[in-house]
Formats: sequence, structure tokens, C-alpha cells
Amino acid sequence: MTTVALLGNPNTGKTTLFNELTDKYAYVGNWTGVTVEKKVGQIRHSNTEVIDLPGVYSLSPITKDESVVTNYLLRDSPDLILNVTNASQLKRNLLLSIEVLELGVPVIITLNMIDDLKRSGHYYDLKTLSTELGCPVRTSNARNKEGLPQLKADLVQNQADIKPNSPLQLNYPIMVSQAIRQATKALTTDYQVDAKFARWLAIQYINDNKVVRKYAVAHHLKPLLSQQAYYDAQKFSDQIFETRLSFIEATLATATEQLHSTKHVAITSKIDKVVTNPILGLPIFAGIFFLMFKLSFDWVGTPLSHQLDKLLSGPISTWANQFLTQVGALPMLRSLIVNGLIAGVGGVLTFIPQIFTLFACISILEDSGYMARAALVTDRIMEMIGLNGKAFIPLIIGFGCNVTGIMAARTIEQPKERLITTLISPFMSCSARLPIYSLFVAALFPRNQAVIVLSLYFLGIVVALLMAKFYHVIFRAKEHSVFIVELPQYHIPKLSIVWHGTWDKGKGFIKKAGTIIFAGTVLIWLLSNFNAHGYVTQIDHSFAASLGQILLPIFKPIGITTWQPISALLTGVLAKEVISSSMMVLFHTANQGALIGMIGGSFTALSAYALLVFVLLYIPCFATIGTIKSETGSAKWAAYSVVSSLFISYGLAFLIFQIGSLLT
Amino acid sequence: MGLFINIIIIAAIIGLAGYQIYRAVKRSKQGECAACDYDCEAKKLLNKSKKRAL
Repeated sequence: MTTVALLGNPNTGKTTLFNELTDKYAYVGNWTGVTVEKKVGQIRHSNTEVIDLPGVYSLSPITKDESVVTNYLLRDSPDLILNVTNASQLKRNLLLSIEVLELGVPVIITLNMIDDLKRSGHYYDLKTLSTELGCPVRTSNARNKEGLPQLKADLVQNQADIKPNSPLQLNYPIMVSQAIRQATKALTTDYQVDAKFARWLAIQYINDNKVVRKYAVAHHLKPLLSQQAYYDAQKFSDQIFETRLSFIEATLATATEQLHSTKHVAITSKIDKVVTNPILGLPIFAGIFFLMFKLSFDWVGTPLSHQLDKLLSGPISTWANQFLTQVGALPMLRSLIVNGLIAGVGGVLTFIPQIFTLFACISILEDSGYMARAALVTDRIMEMIGLNGKAFIPLIIGFGCNVTGIMAARTIEQPKERLITTLISPFMSCSARLPIYSLFVAALFPRNQAVIVLSLYFLGIVVALLMAKFYHVIFRAKEHSVFIVELPQYHIPKLSIVWHGTWDKGKGFIKKAGTIIFAGTVLIWLLSNFNAHGYVTQIDHSFAASLGQILLPIFKPIGITTWQPISALLTGVLAKEVISSSMMVLFHTANQGALIGMIGGSFTALSAYALLVFVLLYIPCFATIGTIKSETGSAKWAAYSVVSSLFISYGLAFLIFQIGSLLT
Repeated sequence: MGLFINIIIIAAIIGLAGYQIYRAVKRSKQGECAACDYDCEAKKLLNKSKKRAL
């Protein structure tokens, strides 16, 4: 039986190729010690067994899952390796190929997704690639089965017919070459290790491959172990990387052929020079966000929201009130439906235009290809605080919903980095906070709505980054995840995709209106209409008022002088949107305009901003707390998140209000 | 509308609200938000990835 190992970077179409080559799985199991799926199949009418190895960027593993490939190469010996590469990302993919070619096992490289490469206006001369790399090079497109018959023919060989490969020999710097040569010699003479394998082992050991270093310890390979400090002190691994990269660049420069006009690629490249520029990148990022908020709050969202509010507070409320009076509903039921449900739930629904406009903007950015650049731009800042651009993805998802943002942190390999990202995610301003921002900016900052909301979003990011730096020092996080992002070409967003993205993100808000916002509104209506003696007609005698008044002394230093916002904040733990609906109920207003007027009378610009900062940072909602517990596997971290966010929010709101009061 | 029907409707609304709060708290313990009945694209991808204990 001939054994072929399928090896390559993630997202190269390796598994699609595996499924096409093998007609059905012969065996699906797990790799020993990890939960990575192990798939072994057989090419029909042949004696060739194919093993699908997990996708990795390098043989130097970062996670336990990735160590599967290196361990496989150390312990098993496939007859042939099929190295699947993404033809459009060959520069990066060949870094792994070189490591495999240095092993000296027969290798066939296939440039998969070749159509994508052709579309970019490039092609590679396969003969040149084959000569430089010292192995056969093929092209394929697993999705439309292009090039598969040739690959199958290559793989269906008897063990004896497979031509041996000599290991790829790169011109490493003299000191590195000498170290490799000496270690190889000692391993072959003193330990009877095969010369090819000994050389590969030496290179991998010098290159700080942790699995190979463990292997050397387990097998007492003294020639390697005794020199470890020297290899590391000389930073040989950096020199190895530089040599490999130079080799790849030279090889690809020789092998690249231009097919036709590359106008589209040139445009992408020109835009990227500006958008990902180290100096201009961040201001552009901030500018795009500002434009998003300008559209959502000033130009499109708010005017539409006012129309919706007019409809709801006018004809709908009046009709409902008249109808309920006609059918003989009690004042309590009328109050529950009109002042509770229609004013509260309906009041939150009037913010749909702002929220959908914002989501449409985010969908446009996603589909245009900008979001990947945003991650790249923020990578530099994230590096400064010990995280990387990979942590930016969960954080940006957190702008939609903190729950999915925290779940997205699963993609971060290093546990400490993952924990840090999880703990700072609730500081990202999720869309549920938008209704309360809308109310306050309309009441107190009517001319600077977008700037105020933008400042809150950026304050959330700044607090998150500062906390991340703090956790990074406290946790003594040393190991880092590797951030590799593929930058897609820019293109004009498709209407269908933007609509789908917007609806997908926004429908959650509508659904919440019918569930938790509804429930929160009923709860606050009950609290504001009852006390220990029963139904009350004066809201100042209700449970909600008593509760708010007890807590009022605590909130006075941050500028809150009435009990209503305090009681409303308590319901925000159910879902942040409930704060707005609670305000509608507690201020006993029938429409958004009236509430905006009441807020304008109860707050100053400074106290309103302090309150918005408190809303931005205070206790996460139940769902977020539950997710932190579930993702960290510990109630301790969930409790910590609640307590720390309360301290941070109060502290910052206090500073803003007190310092602001001194200055004004 | 009689007193009884008024009471029934009020009780139904409060009962439904209570049930929604109970459901939201229960779901929160599993790390799901109140809008989590359907799977958006992001969540489909996330649910495929494994949870890893810290």
C-alpha cells in the first residue's frame, strides 16, 4: 500500500481535494491526544491510501492541534507528500513547502485554485518552479475538478516506482550551514540517524521547532541539546527565515508570467498603499467610522426614526387608547398596553433606522474588502499592548453583539490572549447601546450627534486596549498567536450581499423587541405602577422610585440627579436596549420627542456624557455574562467581569463629571 | 370587556414577560443572547469552532 500525505496551509482547498481524490472516507477518527479529525481515504481501484493532515502554516507549531503534522513527519514516513498550495498565495505557502522539501521525502506540489491566480493576471512557469524546488509541480482546481486526473495518475504509483527526491538545499548563512553540517554529522555517526532525516532534524531544531526540541530531549540527542543556547543566542531561526523568504522571492520572480492587463490588481495595490499606510491607516479608519455615524445619526437614521416615532406616538397610540376605552379595558390594562408596551417596546423600535443604517455601513465595509485592512491597520496598536490583529476581529464583531464577539475569540490560539480578548470584549460598544445613545445625543448634542457617538465607540476601544495591556502585564503573557490575514481585492459591494448582511445583523434587534425588551418593559411598568401596598397612581410612590432614590446618593457624584435613569440602568442588565424602553415608561412619555425634551431638562451636556460613558462600560448584559462563564469555563471570570466593569465605568464617569465640572 | 377578561389579559402579558425573562436568564447560562434562535452567518462559523477551556 502506498501512503500519500496531503499537507498544506489552511484554506488551500486541501479537504475538497481529498474528497475528490478519495471516493469515500475509509476511516474518520481523531489524531492521538488532540481533537483534530483524522481522515484517511483510498483512491478507488488503487493501492494508494491518502491521509488528510490538518492545515498548518509552518512545521513549527503554535497549538497542540498544529503539532499533529510535525509529529506525523517525525514518527511516520509517508511514501509521497502531496503539498497543496493556494496558487494566489504562493509566497506564503512555499514557506511550508520548503520545510517539507528539506525532509527529502518525495513531494509533489500542486498549485490549487489556479483560476483565482489566472484572474489576477498572473501565472507561473511550472518548469522553472519544478527546477528551483526540485520536485514535480502541477496545477489544479479542486472545485471544478480541473487537473485532478493528472494528480490521480501521479499518486497511483507503486511504492517502488516513486522517484526519490533529494532534499532541497538552501544557501543558509555560513554560520548556520556550519551548525547544520556539524549537527548532521554527529547525529549520523553517533546516533545512526539517516543522513537526510538528521539534516532536517538539525534545521528544525535550530529553527526553534518546539516539537522537534521535545523529540530531541526524549531521544537524548546531545549534539543538538548541547548547542541550543548557542543557536538561540545567534538568532539562527531569524536567519533561516530570511534565507527561505529570499529564495521564495527569487524563485517566484523568475517563474512569474504576466497573462493580461492587471488593472484591477493595480487599483487594489494603489488603494492599499494609502489605506494600510502606517501613518494614514488609523485616521482613515476613524474617518470611515465617523462617516458611518454621520449617516446613521445625522443624515439618514435619525430623520427616518422621527417619522417612525410620529406614526407610533400619534395614530397608533391614539387608536389603541380609543379602542381599549371602547371595549371597556380597565385603566391599568390601558396603561400597561399604551404607556408600557407601545411607548416602551415601540419606542425602542423607532431606533430601527439608525441601527439598520449602521449595519448596512458595516456590511458594505465587509463586502468591499476593507475590514481585513482594518484588522491589519489595528495590528500595530494591538502589538503594542501584547495582542495582535487577530484579537481585532472578535472586538469588531463585538460592535454588533458582545456575545458573538466573545465567541469569536475562540479563533485565538494562545489561552492567555484568548482570556484577555474575552475580558475586554464587553467594553466594545454593541448595537444594543445605540438607542440610549440616540436619545441622549438628540436631547443634548443635536448638532454633534455623530461626533459624540464616535467618541463613545473610541473610548470603549481605548478602555479595552488599556485593560488589555494591564491584563497582559498581570498574566505575564509571553507567547503570541500569529496573525496572518489574506487581503482580498477591493470590489464594489453587491446589493444582495449588503442587504443579506444588514438583515442578518439587524433581525436580532427586532426579535429582541418581541422577547426580552418586551419582558423588560413589562417588568419596569410593574415596578413603576406598584408598591408594597398595591397599584399606585403616583409613580413617585412606586418600587422603581424607591429603588432609584435609595441609589441616588451613589450616582450624584457622576451627575445623575433624578431617580428615573438609575432605575432604568438596573433593567439594562436584561439587555441594554431595555434602558431606553424603561426611560420611556419611567418618564411617562408617549413619544420620543417628549422624552428627549424631558432628558434635556434633567441633564446637562456634561452629566449626560458621564451617564453615556457609564452605560458604555457598566455591567454587561446577562447573555454576555453567561457567555464569559461558558467560554472561560469559570464563574469566577464572569463575576470578575461584572465587578471590574462596574468599578471602571463608575470611576471614569466620576472623573469626567468632576473634572468637567471644575473646568466649566 | 368584563373584569375577568381584563385580569386574564394582564396576567397573560405579565406571565409571558416573566417567561421571557426566565428564558433569557436560562439561555444566558449557555452563553446565548436573547436573539439567538436563528443562526446568523457569524454564529454558524463560530459554532463550528471548538470551545477551548482556559
